[in-house]
Amino acid sequence: LLEEVGLEPDRVEMFNLGASDAPLFASACNEMTERARRLGPNPLRKGGKTA
Amino acid sequence: MIVGERKPFDEICDRLQGFKKVLILGCGTCVSVCMAGGEKEVELLASQLRMATSLKNGNTEILEATIQRQCDSEYIESVLETARSCDAVLSMACGAGVQLLADTLETIPVIPALNTRFIGVALGEGTWSERCRACGNCLLADYGGICPMTMCPKSLVNGPCGGSSNGKCETSPDRDCGWALIYERLRKQGRLDKMRDVAPLKDYSTQLHPARQVNEAYVKAEMEESHTK
Repeated sequence: LLEEVGLEPDRVEMFNLGASDAPLFASACNEMTERARRLGPNPLRKGGKTA
Repeated sequence: MIVGERKPFDEICDRLQGFKKVLILGCGTCVSVCMAGGEKEVELLASQLRMATSLKNGNTEILEATIQRQCDSEYIESVLETARSCDAVLSMACGAGVQLLADTLETIPVIPALNTRFIGVALGEGTWSERCRACGNCLLADYGGICPMTMCPKSLVNGPCGGSSNGKCETSPDRDCGWALIYERLRKQGRLDKMRDVAPLKDYSTQLHPARQVNEAYVKAEMEESHTK
């Protein structure tokens, strides 16, 4: 859906984690943070805070 | 049900160019069941269009609504006021719904968001298959409940062609031969003698377009009721 619009599809991903999967949760957070930094600010949030 | 699929996003965007306020109208019947034009699909398309508009620094206002059926005037009435406040309506109904909506709105352009594909059945989750050509002269009783008009690419009504091989059609190894299906069905029903019947020429006069049907008894009752008022 995002690709059709012109946004990078990597900006959104769903992770299925158990409540006890803290290491996996941290890993997913780090991955998404790194991805957001690489992709830059969301172009839909013009004037908003940058990552 | 009538099965449809959403048009490519770029095509929808092209059709909407120049309109500042657009209502996306879903249909809660057939195309909702085949996951092409129901409430959820309206929400998804609206979100996509808002994002695309924003990325292009546009200012098109997108409204959303879904009614039970777009092929029935009484349901359309509930959204007329909203629709008339817009520059255009993007209909996620089948072609019938789009046309009744366009007839009703007249001065407001109605743009189809779907391609209407066929009358079919659900084979499984997310898979539909054509079953009926709406020929107006149903002969399913003669063919074990399998329509040769639909299931055979040549619409042969008197047995398979020479291209039938091991139960498959010559047009594709993935496609069952409609007549192999009919044979197997009649065999299971113990009615293989039906294969020897020679079908008369198909009456295509029932396929005049636009077809029309009137329930005389209902129309008569309505007229009588209006006369007594």
